[in-house]
Parts: sequence; structure tokens; C-alpha cells
Amino acid sequence: MLAKIEWNKIGELVWVAPLAAFAVAVCFSLVIFGLSRAGEARRGGASGSAAAFTGLTAVAGAAFAAIVVLGVIVIAKK
Amino acid sequence: MSSDVVLVIVVASALAFDFTNGFHDTANAIATSISTRALSPRAAVLLSAALNFAGAFISLKVAATVATGIVDADAITTTIVFGGLIGAIAWNLATWWFGLPSSSSHALIGGMIGSALVAKGPDVINGAGVVEKVIIPALLAPTLAFAAAGLTILITYRVVGRQRPGVVNRGYRHGQLVTASLFSLAHGTNDAQKTMGIITLALIAHGNLPANSFDVPTWVVASSASAIALGTYIGGWRIIRTMGSRIIKMDPAQGFAAQGSGAAVVLTASHLGFPLSTTHVISGGIMGAGAAKRVSAVRWGVAGNIVTAWILTLPCAAVIGGLAYGLTAVFGDQAIGVILVTLMVLGLLIAAFGSRVRRGPAITGAGARA
Repeated sequence: MLAKIEWNKIGELVWVAPLAAFAVAVCFSLVIFGLSRAGEARRGGASGSAAAFTGLTAVAGAAFAAIVVLGVIVIAKK
Repeated sequence: MSSDVVLVIVVASALAFDFTNGFHDTANAIATSISTRALSPRAAVLLSAALNFAGAFISLKVAATVATGIVDADAITTTIVFGGLIGAIAWNLATWWFGLPSSSSHALIGGMIGSALVAKGPDVINGAGVVEKVIIPALLAPTLAFAAAGLTILITYRVVGRQRPGVVNRGYRHGQLVTASLFSLAHGTNDAQKTMGIITLALIAHGNLPANSFDVPTWVVASSASAIALGTYIGGWRIIRTMGSRIIKMDPAQGFAAQGSGAAVVLTASHLGFPLSTTHVISGGIMGAGAAKRVSAVRWGVAGNIVTAWILTLPCAAVIGGLAYGLTAVFGDQAIGVILVTLMVLGLLIAAFGSRVRRGPAITGAGARA
């Protein structure tokens, strides 16, 4: 009975799911971090830092959006 | 004529199950969003219902898996399908009554197994299918979600821990709009397909569709999508309360971690064609997000009740499904057995809900807002 089980699929589930959760958490947390620090930098008059953190926010936001789109594609392509 | 009546009742029962599935599982997608005030209760159920509806149209892979992987499709009759549905509906309503989030997938599979076992014996049950598509995912789903959400919340606190709470909480509430939407879409994709699979199985058993293919008719897709969306919109507020505030008292970051991890696990499983329980996933995610912050933050008594309900789901639904089939079979192949069991179930439902109405609403949308 156990030989019929597709262990490779289960193995894939075990590593892909936490990896996806990790990627979602890191990207979105960086969006919030970047937004928060950019705001602080702007209030402190550090325009260079503000621009850098805004860039971080944009990159992390784009990565988060890409993960979400990838999730939808995964559903749609089956 | 008699078999046509049975088929109509089976299709109606399948859609009723789909409604209870949406009603029962509304909490999976939106309980954390309501709890952290990312969404108002009405907006949450509306969003979730719309995305469940859309999700039902996206893929049919899980529908084929549910129908063909567990019970031998050639041995299935419409009466067996009916018994299975009664088992699933009864267990869904019983767990809703106690506010316990249990798996509608397992209730359906359990009901089908019990009904088929009584009708045809153990040979029609695919043991490897049960282990692969039910037991292993049932163990993996909450464990993975627990670990993933725990990892996620630790990363989250590490990255944003020193930022101003107002910005952080607002940010994660916005993030929850995305994760709740993704989770609802994934739920519609996974769960509406179970009903499609069951109706298609009944149509095959009745001879309306060829047994050698598994093409789900469009009207089956549309009606299943509508039933799950309507059930989701009505909302199972008792379970929403359990998931949203009785397991842990969560902050927006924890809500985001639980939902984001849950969506990752459900989407990965959906991609692989597993009939995975969204209830197991989100419950495990909520517990993981709570335990990673502080183990004592999780109300383990509530968690224990939930896990007990999970363990009981498959056998209890199987027993009810077997009883429903047995009662129906007393009347032979005639539709009268199916009609009588349907009337009995409807009578019990009216009695139960009538009793609840007389005692006043226990937990409602208004209650959840308070």
C-alpha cells in the first residue's frame, strides 16, 4: 500500500509550502519596514535614506505581488 | 422514474453539503481578518463569498481526485452517494453547533467510505488512496502550517519589531486583505470541487455520463460555485468566533502570518492535487502563530477540542453515512427510502434550528462585531 503513495509529491509539499510562507513573510515585512523607515527618514530630513528605504519598499512590494500572482497562476494552470 | 427522483435528491443533497461547506468554512478565510479588524464582518464574508465563487471555476483537478481516489467509482450508486452526503452534512452541522472547526473534506470522504462500506464491503475502498489523500495530508497540513506560521511570525517580529506599532499594525491589516483573498480563492478552488466531484460521480452512477471519463458539466460547476458562495456569505459565526478569538488573541502580524502560511500550504497542496483541508491548515497556522510568540498564548484546551473533532470527523461521518445508507437500503432500490431519510434529516434540522431560534441567537454577525 505504501509503495503506491506518491512520496515525491509529499516531499515537494513539505519544502515548497514553508518556503512560500517564508518568502511571503519576508517580502511583506520588508514592505512595512521600508515604509516605516522611509517615513522616519523624511521627517528627519534625510532625503537620501528616505529614497533608499522607498526603493526597498518598492522592490519588496514587487516581490510580494509577484508571489501572489504566482499563487494565482498555480491555481489557474492546473 | 424512481432512479431519476433519487438522482435529483442526491444532487440537491450535494448542493446542500456545498452550502454547509461554505457556511462551515467561512471562518478559514476570514476569522483572522475579522479578529484583527482588517475587515468588517460583512465586508469579509462578501469578499470571501465572491472569491470562493470565482475560485470554483478556476480548476477541476481536485474534483477528479476526490471522486476517483478514495472509493472505486465503478461500484458507486446514487444511493451510496446519498448516504455519504447525509453523513457529511450531519457532521458539518454537529461541529458547527459546537463551534468547532472541522474538515468538510474529511466529513465528505468519511461519509462516502461509510456508505460504500455498508453497501459493497471493504473491497471498494482504496486503502492507499485513503492513506495518501486523507491521512497523510491530514497529518501534514496542520503540522506544516503550524511550523510555517511559527517561522513566519518570528521573521516578521524580527524585521518590524522596532518600528512604530501603528504603522506595523496598519500594514499587516492591509496585507491580510491580500492573504484573505488568496485563501478564499484557494478555498473555492479546493472545496467547491468536492461537490462537483460528488455530483459528477452520481451522474456517472446514474448513467448520464460515461464512466471512463471525468468531465464535469458546466451546470455542475456553476451550481456548486453558487452554493459554496452563498454558504460563505451567510457565514458560520460560531466557528468564526472560535478561530478568530478563542484559540489565541492575535495581533495583525499574527493574523497575517497564519493566513499567509495557510494560503502557501493550501496552494501548494492544491497544485499537487491533494484534497487538503483548509480547516486543518488555518487552525494549525493560527496555533503556530500564537505558540511561536509565547506557548502559553495558545488556549490548548480549545486546541485540544478542535483536534479531537478532527480525529472523530472521518469515523463519525462514516458511521452516519453507513446508517443513512442502511436505512435507505431497507426500502430496496425504490426512491421511498431516500425520500424518507431526507425528510428525517430535514425534520431534525428544523427541530434543532427551531430550538436555537427559541433560545435566541448564540453568535451572529452582530455578535462578532461586538
